[in-house]
Amino acid sequence: MERPLKRLLYFFAALFLALIVQLSYVQVYAAPDLKNHPANTRALDEQMRIERGVIVSADGTVIAQNRQEGDYFLREYPLGDLTAPWLGYNSLRYGRSGVERAYNPELTGETDELAARSFLDILTDKPTRGADLQLTVDLAVQRAAVDGLGERKGAVVALDPRTGQVLAMASWPRYDPNILDERWEELNQDADRPLVNRALQGLYPPGSSFKPVVAAAALAEGLFAPDSTFTDEGRYVAGGFPVSNYGGNTYGEHDLTTAMAKSINTSFAKIGVSLDEDLLAYTRAFGFEKELPLPLESSVSTLPEPSLIDTAHLAQIAFGQGQLLATPFQMALVAAGIANGGSIMNPYVLEQVTDFHGAVVERAQPSVWQTPVSPTVAGQVAEMMVQVVERGTGTQAALPGVRVAGKTGTAQVAEGGDHAWFIGFAPADDPRVAVAVLVENAGGGGSVAAPVARGVLEAGLAR
Amino acid sequence: MSPRNRELLFLLPAVLVTTIGFATVYIREAERLEWASLSYGGLFLGLFGLVHVAERLLAPKADPYLLPITALLSSLGIMMIYRLNPDLALQQAIWLLVGLGVFVFVLTVARPLARLASYKYLLGLGGIGLLLFTVVFGREVYGARLWVRVAGIGFQPPEFAKLFLVVFFAAYLADVREMLAVSTRRILGIAFPPLKYLGPLLALWGLALALMIFLRDLGTSLLFFAALLALMYVATSRMLYVVVGTGLFAGGATVLYQIFPHVQRRVDIWLDPWADSQDAGYQIVQSLFALAEGGLTGRGLGQGFLVLPSGRTLIPALETDFIFSAIGEELGLAGAVGIVLLFFIFVWRGLRIALASGDDFVRLLAAGLTAIFGLQAFLILGGVIKLIPLTGITLPFVSYGGSSIVANFALLALLLLASHEATRQEEARLEAAVRGPAAQREVVVGPPAGGLRDLRAQGRGA
Repeated sequence: MERPLKRLLYFFAALFLALIVQLSYVQVYAAPDLKNHPANTRALDEQMRIERGVIVSADGTVIAQNRQEGDYFLREYPLGDLTAPWLGYNSLRYGRSGVERAYNPELTGETDELAARSFLDILTDKPTRGADLQLTVDLAVQRAAVDGLGERKGAVVALDPRTGQVLAMASWPRYDPNILDERWEELNQDADRPLVNRALQGLYPPGSSFKPVVAAAALAEGLFAPDSTFTDEGRYVAGGFPVSNYGGNTYGEHDLTTAMAKSINTSFAKIGVSLDEDLLAYTRAFGFEKELPLPLESSVSTLPEPSLIDTAHLAQIAFGQGQLLATPFQMALVAAGIANGGSIMNPYVLEQVTDFHGAVVERAQPSVWQTPVSPTVAGQVAEMMVQVVERGTGTQAALPGVRVAGKTGTAQVAEGGDHAWFIGFAPADDPRVAVAVLVENAGGGGSVAAPVARGVLEAGLAR
Repeated sequence: MSPRNRELLFLLPAVLVTTIGFATVYIREAERLEWASLSYGGLFLGLFGLVHVAERLLAPKADPYLLPITALLSSLGIMMIYRLNPDLALQQAIWLLVGLGVFVFVLTVARPLARLASYKYLLGLGGIGLLLFTVVFGREVYGARLWVRVAGIGFQPPEFAKLFLVVFFAAYLADVREMLAVSTRRILGIAFPPLKYLGPLLALWGLALALMIFLRDLGTSLLFFAALLALMYVATSRMLYVVVGTGLFAGGATVLYQIFPHVQRRVDIWLDPWADSQDAGYQIVQSLFALAEGGLTGRGLGQGFLVLPSGRTLIPALETDFIFSAIGEELGLAGAVGIVLLFFIFVWRGLRIALASGDDFVRLLAAGLTAIFGLQAFLILGGVIKLIPLTGITLPFVSYGGSSIVANFALLALLLLASHEATRQEEARLEAAVRGPAAQREVVVGPPAGGLRDLRAQGRGA
């Protein structure tokens, strides 16, 4: 019986070796694949059973909260699609976006600082949950932006130029994050991309709304003054490329302020050509080709490939065409920079983080992002922009009793109608709100975008 | 060092693991647990200490490694159960107490083991009786009719039937093994042993298997079938039994697969659990996810994602059949391989006891008990890691479950008694060999057993 017993032992040795081999395969070799397997919702499951922090607007209105259902805390957004461009979504199946993604560590209490606190809570028997967020969104301004845009494709951004506090972000088409899972397929396949936040992610030729950047560069370089004169003949050929004015108008002799107010392309093309490489440098100084200093999903506003840039391109860039692409948010930052004496503040969406004991653990600290021009230059550009609203293309943005500064843009696109732009701020002497409006394929900036901006500025000034 | 002092020394790691483990779980889950629950650990250790003392009195020469392995396995088990559900851990502690009581009881009454052999038919019929009893009174849980309630306490008779039947087969085979080893008749050119001796064996085996299959207890049927096959092979040294047995198994399994949808389902899930990962394949898929999450070193005791806020476990039957997945997630590959090795050492020691034993019955009993123990561990470990189709049985000493704990402690007591008797016999033989051939003839009853080559060489030299 000795031999069979030994064989039995070998047989068991083989069985247990097979166990160890399979274990190693599952726990080490196949582990990364298993963790990323589509059916593996453990990571999300784990997050879903954590009571996420509540999110409130600037005035304390709850805009994201939890509903407990069995094992999970389900996310609810009381204002539905109104705050969607801010909050994004938090889906068991489709992951996260927006503030829900960017501040997930805070919302789940997983940042180092919050985790240290909750360890103390374990020792002291206190229940744990994520930290609460207060966002910078001002619901009155947000409503003005959303209502002003209406059901037109486009985006609206409003900022406080003094601090960088983001007041409103609207994007259409939009979605209701409360019923995201049910409608995911449809939303994801929609050619109009409702899941994309156009305010931060949409890239558009800025058209004439880019002219304040060109004017600022020209003044800063000392090449021109607000009263420098130009002669417009309705047509200017730069590097073989013929530049004409919007509507085929001819303006004759005029100064730089009028060129801004009436949005005269030929004059700006001339400035662009004289600025040469400096135009690109100032464009970058205003934030182009830089990641936006925000933790939300955003696109980088771009200049054409350096190798492509010749005289013709410089002339076109000077009135916001020529493969120049900007996000509405970037254009709002341009307006905010002029408004704030030439300094663009770091934009922020998070006002403060409060742990569940009510203690503030993090508070927004306004700081400067870019300083493209001096306060003097910014002041001169602002004054020109006031003329745009008072006697130029942007009269529809005017508010009674308030000096509004602005610039319209009507950007030509390869397909469809022109994009309507308006950027601006108010009051011009002591700006409290800056705005950018973009309406896709909607026509003239002065007639389409300026009225939207007026509503948003009005709401912003009422804060 | 004497075997018992060695045993005491090896109980120390179990003490350490239990203390550290319970403290870890307590710190991690303080919101759910009370300080008093830490006393489970102390209670648990005190019990094993008492059992150790009982063993010093009742089986002083027994193998010193089996009890520490058991202590470590049950401490890991109760720790994990405690972490998953403190209330169940309290129940498990009570069952552990009963199990240790049964352990001491078996040590006391089953000696010498030869006495058990004389009750073989009673025990065999007892085993069948337990299965029949379950067929009549059993209640269905998770698709198998295994539960019987007596005086308000639920238990699973097949866990005990298994033991009774192994004792019967060991005793019966010890009697007829020589007859089975010779072939008297040739069918189709293959030599077969006489049916006279094979008949009763096959009859009882078949009956037990039929009852288990009727109970839909796939795990126990498979376990029982394979263990008996191993026993036949050990008893007769004939591969023929293994070959025919494996053939029968293949045939039987095919038939069962065709007849029973639940067998089909088990196999289909094993082949592709991903096809229905939300429903049929859920348990095994979640088990694999848990293991993957554990990685090399695990997420740490109490840190895995195992219990939902409602108190429900993420994987159904996590405290019982799937406890190894929980261990794999929290203790990682390191801990999981540790458990596998503990089971293997147990099997190795068990088969060594069989090898060392001079008595046919004791040897077959030790081999049979070890085979049943090792196979049970393999079937459930292999099932939860998708090496083989899943059969719902418990992981000995680790899983939550009263019947399983108690039956396995009875098994351990029998093994230790076998070890004690084998060592005593060997010592007696050694003494006789020293005294001379004349004295040896008086002491040694039966042929010298295997594993004693040194002794025989010594004897020749004397």
